[in-house]
Amino acid sequence: MRVVIGEDETLLREGLSLVFEREGFEVAALAADGAQLLAAAREHRPKLVVTDIRMPPTHSDEGLRAALAIRAELPQTAVLVLSQHAQRRYAAELLGERPAGVGYLLKQRIGDLDQFCADVRRVCSGGTVLDPELVGTLLGRARPDGDPLDALTDRQRDVLALMAEGRSNAAIAERLVISEKAVVKHVSNVYDQLGLAPAADDHRRVLAVVRYLSR
Amino acid sequence: MHFLPSVRTADRPRNGRDSRPEGDLGPLAARDGAAAQDAAVAPARRPRRLAARPQLPALAALGGAALLLAAAETALLFDQPGAIWALILFPAAALTWFAAGAVASLRRPGNRLGAIMLAGALVWFAAGLLNAPQPALASVGAIVAMLPLALGAHLLHAFPSGRLRGRASRLIVAGIYVAALLLHAPAWLFLPGGAGSPLQVADRPDLAQLGADVQDVVGGGLLLATAVLLADRMRGATRAQRRVLAPLALYGIAAVALVPAMSRLQGPLLGDDPIALFAIQASLLGLLPVAFVAAVLRGGFAPTAGVRELSAWIGADGSRPAPLRDALAEALGDPSVELALWAGERERWVDGDGRATELPDPRSGRGVVLVEAEGRTVGAIVYDATLIADAAPVREAAGVIALALDRDRLTAELIASRERLRESRARIAAAADDERRRIARDLHDGVQGRLVVLGLRAGELRRSADARGDDDARAGADALRRELEATLEALRELVRGVLPAALAERGLGAAAAELADRMPLPTTVDAGAERYPAPVESAGWFVISEALANVVKHAGASRAHVVVEATAEGVRIEVRDDGRGGATASGPAQAADGAHANRGAPPSGGSGLRGLADRVDVVGGRLTVDSPPGGGTRIVAEVPCGS
Repeated sequence: MRVVIGEDETLLREGLSLVFEREGFEVAALAADGAQLLAAAREHRPKLVVTDIRMPPTHSDEGLRAALAIRAELPQTAVLVLSQHAQRRYAAELLGERPAGVGYLLKQRIGDLDQFCADVRRVCSGGTVLDPELVGTLLGRARPDGDPLDALTDRQRDVLALMAEGRSNAAIAERLVISEKAVVKHVSNVYDQLGLAPAADDHRRVLAVVRYLSR
Repeated sequence: MHFLPSVRTADRPRNGRDSRPEGDLGPLAARDGAAAQDAAVAPARRPRRLAARPQLPALAALGGAALLLAAAETALLFDQPGAIWALILFPAAALTWFAAGAVASLRRPGNRLGAIMLAGALVWFAAGLLNAPQPALASVGAIVAMLPLALGAHLLHAFPSGRLRGRASRLIVAGIYVAALLLHAPAWLFLPGGAGSPLQVADRPDLAQLGADVQDVVGGGLLLATAVLLADRMRGATRAQRRVLAPLALYGIAAVALVPAMSRLQGPLLGDDPIALFAIQASLLGLLPVAFVAAVLRGGFAPTAGVRELSAWIGADGSRPAPLRDALAEALGDPSVELALWAGERERWVDGDGRATELPDPRSGRGVVLVEAEGRTVGAIVYDATLIADAAPVREAAGVIALALDRDRLTAELIASRERLRESRARIAAAADDERRRIARDLHDGVQGRLVVLGLRAGELRRSADARGDDDARAGADALRRELEATLEALRELVRGVLPAALAERGLGAAAAELADRMPLPTTVDAGAERYPAPVESAGWFVISEALANVVKHAGASRAHVVVEATAEGVRIEVRDDGRGGATASGPAQAADGAHANRGAPPSGGSGLRGLADRVDVVGGRLTVDSPPGGGTRIVAEVPCGS
């Protein structure tokens, strides 16, 4: 599996490179700005592109723009965006209409290597990964009185958050230490309470939940 | 008697008097009760309306007298030989001169041209007596017969101020009067004249002819000198002045030169018809003052009020630099008058807006009179020295306007220092913005990145501890990673407060959305993706974040809404809530803003709004607060992108 890494800070770029090599990836190219990244992705058509958002020359969002371009051009390439900040807006742009093979995580998640590598594999296999902090922000947004979200139980909120992070029922069950059957029941109740139509797959589920939370 | 009393004459510092507050009549009240009364009745009326015409009654009386004189003279000449229509050209010319003089006097009370014309009218009446049947009257006419010519020349020299300017001019005019009166003497001393002139001492036509020749030569020479002098003045005049002066000088010189010359050329040109000749001469000279009056009016000289009215006007009105200048221009009859102010602090001359300026070179034809108040130079009047020959009225005006000008000077200094203050505040704000941006970027590129790498190292440590089965090391590595994550979280919070990533990366709309996401009450955002200059975005973000903080702290609102929209000038930011209202930004920044609508509510969160108003003011924007008690609060900041 080939990976192209876009990151302008040398130390972190080298660190990421090591992590991916150890995970069995072939690091096809290292890019230090958005244009390099886009060129490398086009050339190598990797399984995965990992990129920072803020990169030279403007230090605004060229990494994100490159990621969006790659997602549009190379549907077979999964994209994982790493950033110092989690922005709701960027998540919405990344998910777009095709929430498969895409991830958006805070850079600091790299430190938990087991979790990070699991997330990387999930993205590579077409899954969706959203940072817990981002989901926390989405869930924590103030809502008018009587909003259906306020009627959810704590456990239902936990399930909803993990759904929004892109986790499968099995992963949610493992995380919450409950049976998968219980998870299915919780998910069904959440759907009912929020008035959401049951999603065809996990990606659609993420999109539906994120859209609901972004209202 | 004047209609507008000189309320402020007591303020003249040149007289060493103390200044008095405006409206204080001071000694005037005792000295001139009628004037004080007038002032009390109409303290704020403007000179343009009042344009005091103190001469009007006197002129009306004079006009009546002139009409009587004309009628009497016409009656005297009625049964004389010769065409009566020619003889009454004298009183007709006299009346024309009188009318011209009256108009000039009314239009420009401080100008002596009118007086010269009025004197000319008298001379014409006198000259008309030449044909009177009474020998004594006819003698008067004979003596002054040539004076109308001299007066015409006098007008030429005295235009436009009515005063003779320069030694040469005074000598020439004196010479012309001598030629017209003394050198004309042989004509009545040695010729019989009409009606048995009692002045005749001998019948010597040869001497009379000699006298006439001398008179013509001297007069011609003086007229030539006049032409040279006028041509010289024309060179120093502005184009606008030349347009007025040139036709006038040509007509004047032609009229004065042709009248005697035509007598000589009479035979060959006109045949022997003295009546026709005289009619032409009288018409040429008689209409001369009309041309002068036309020139005065064409020269843009509005009805002038005079220095006295100027002083009343200054006392009655809260004057500002331009009106003061205009009033001075009217009073002096010089539309080109300029005012310069002495900026003592900067040791240089400035105009009414505080911009640096220079006084003109005295040789440039511009005159300068310094204005002093309380012994200090506060300004200068720059006037047209070719128009105003005598600086005395300008000096008088300088005394009158001194305090008003000093006030203008202080205002100009204030405006300039306010502008400098605004610029320095903008620089300080920009420097603070730059610093915030630099700090946010350094944190992002430096510390945050290093901490992430350290977190990666901690993760690697954990893995190797795992591989070794070293539980203590694994727990330590986990704790270290969690510490690092907590540190990074705190750092993110710090960066959000310094300069949010969303603002730098996506602009105001994204930054507003991020702020709204973290609000404890439902907050919606209506914003486009437009980008604005960095100082505008920084100020806008400050406004949104402070206004939202105020909503949380003070408004007791159930929801808030943020609008960011592009306008023609820049950006308009609106933050509104449905809370208790009554917010006010007490302080000059708001008090000076007419749109501020605090409907008597007690202040709450005033200092926050005050800071907002200051921050918006620095970037040249405008903050308005609408916060009726119980009606929610709406804060609107309009920030221009220019400048």
